[in-house]
Amino acid sequence: MPPPLQAHRLLISHRRLPTPARRRFTAVPSLQSAPATTLAPGPATSSILSIRESLLSGERTAADITSEYLSRLRRTEPSLRSFIHVADAAAEREAEELDRRIASGEKDAVGPLAGVPVGVKDNLCTANMPSTGGSRILDGYRPAYDATVVRRLREAGAIVVGKTNLDEFGMGSTTEGSAFQVTTNPWDNSRVPGGSSGGSASAVSARQCIVSLGSDTGGSVRQPASFCGVVGLKPTYGRVSRFGLMAYASSLDVVGCFGSSVFDTATILSVVAGHDKMDSTSSSQVVPDYASELVSLDLLESKPLAGVRIGIIQETLGEGVANGVISSIKGAASHLEQLGSLVEEVSLPSFSLGLPAYYILASSEASSNLSRYDGIRYGRQVSADDLNELYGESRANGLGHEVKMRILMGTYALSAGYYDAYYKRAQQVRTLVKESFKDALERYDILISPAAPSAAYKIGEKTNDPLAMYAGDIMTVNVNLAGLPALVVPCGFVEGGPAGLPVGLQMIGSPFCEGNLLRVGHIFEQTLQNLSFVPPLLAES
Amino acid sequence: MLSAAAASAIPRLRCATRPRLRRPSARTYWPRPFSSSSSHVTPAPAAGAGAGELEPPDLTRLANAARISLSPQEAEEFEPKIRQLTDWFGQLQVVDLESIEPSLRAGTTADSSLREDKPETFDNRDAIVEAIPSYDDPYIKVPRVLNKE
Repeated sequence: MPPPLQAHRLLISHRRLPTPARRRFTAVPSLQSAPATTLAPGPATSSILSIRESLLSGERTAADITSEYLSRLRRTEPSLRSFIHVADAAAEREAEELDRRIASGEKDAVGPLAGVPVGVKDNLCTANMPSTGGSRILDGYRPAYDATVVRRLREAGAIVVGKTNLDEFGMGSTTEGSAFQVTTNPWDNSRVPGGSSGGSASAVSARQCIVSLGSDTGGSVRQPASFCGVVGLKPTYGRVSRFGLMAYASSLDVVGCFGSSVFDTATILSVVAGHDKMDSTSSSQVVPDYASELVSLDLLESKPLAGVRIGIIQETLGEGVANGVISSIKGAASHLEQLGSLVEEVSLPSFSLGLPAYYILASSEASSNLSRYDGIRYGRQVSADDLNELYGESRANGLGHEVKMRILMGTYALSAGYYDAYYKRAQQVRTLVKESFKDALERYDILISPAAPSAAYKIGEKTNDPLAMYAGDIMTVNVNLAGLPALVVPCGFVEGGPAGLPVGLQMIGSPFCEGNLLRVGHIFEQTLQNLSFVPPLLAES
Repeated sequence: MLSAAAASAIPRLRCATRPRLRRPSARTYWPRPFSSSSSHVTPAPAAGAGAGELEPPDLTRLANAARISLSPQEAEEFEPKIRQLTDWFGQLQVVDLESIEPSLRAGTTADSSLREDKPETFDNRDAIVEAIPSYDDPYIKVPRVLNKE
């Protein structure tokens, strides 16, 4: 594994920030009193920290903050539809309970996410709320347990405001594949928010909640982050427990997170990451306090990224990528250069083979993972005269079109006689992809690329053309094949919609180097001038 | 242990069957890969398994194996799409992957940990039972299991 970011020595960040220094972050004025149009242009700040400060100082109560977010949520939901389930009563109760504990002076009352409204993608199990996976086959299903990541959020004091919309079982790139509703993009409600974690991305973008959890199997956190203009993190495979995540492709799935700033994203990652005895693929590597390693703007040197070597993936800037996206990424690259880093083009051989290899592997694993949805132990059952018919009818009735397609494709790829031709070859391509990333990451600290070949497209544009939709995943799937961490940070705009459409910069690192990505991402974000990623719909409040 | 009826309901894997191979023909794989240079793709020698066309998916058989009932209209709708996708997968057939080890997983967690093999009682069995659609304490009710001819 390559050594940690070279520039670490040169960054003041290795000097830990003393707690009082946190006051250097400007508190975000409440959006009700300062609509988007009058917010000073500049970098995003930490909403989590400002909530923490208000709770500790007694300036605001958790009930008040939760009520503000729930009211914005209700106001924007008819247009956005980010949530399959809103848990207002439970959220209000939890906020009141938190206030009671703070008021009674309880020592550990104010955890790292105290009073922070969070959204949870509906393929993560929540014991007191329906968890549908975006599918009719689990309509009304209430899990018997919380996913480990949900449990950790709650233990940190977060207030789960609801379950966000997704493409069914994580299969899709637009959230149009949900069995329940189509979520819209806060930047233009005729466009998709991306997928499969579209609801989680749009909820954070529209400030319906502060941070949210999603999952990323082939780009399902990174692409919606880019489409919605928010920060999205896909951790290293094994960094975050998958216990309680409804499995799509077990060797590719990870739980990821969204925030409106790198700092908030880093905070939620520290809370949910770490070994879990209930997930044997989870790593026991120590979880750093990622947010504490982020340097505040006024402590940065003039060339804070001096010595950092960055490679732009050549194959992601060519044919098929929108001009506006290419120029946003090149703009981001030159911004990174101005910060002192060395930016060069690098080629990743086998890059384009990753896409069919990914779909073969993902479909094959999905065909196995989704065999549990048989109408017997949970979910919708269609009655029948014999067992096979019950399986067949329950699954036919409960599973959506895209899910059925992928199960059938996976069944084909795994059929006797076809293993060598498809599954094994896809695994061999996986080896090639891993090796080419490893080589590149020995020469560069971070690799960058777009997260998608375009900005958000119109709802309905790709629904009849599965291959066109799959093609959009070319920027993201290779990272899942190699299990690497990746961070998407908004970096620019293209034309479209009432105020332009956001474009995200994807930064890819070596395994377990989320800290490096977050440090660089934070510096990039804090020094990005004159760009505000608050969608116009918030100005209407 | 599976009852005889249940065991015969599971389709037998036709391990002895090999896919029917045809001579490779000029095919265009759609969509075009995004990289402008495809110099990394090395065509494999013409002879041997994996270099030819594989038998197209038999949707009826697949739907049966996947336990998903497909109506004739659905089958008609799915067939061309699945064919298109499996053709697209065919791109991998012409790549030279000789001597490349297949990767089962990402390999980022070499330290796979096993927990103690100590059974614990789950504390919310009620919720599990409540989720069962057809329950007749203490049995999960299912219809009869038929012998598939």
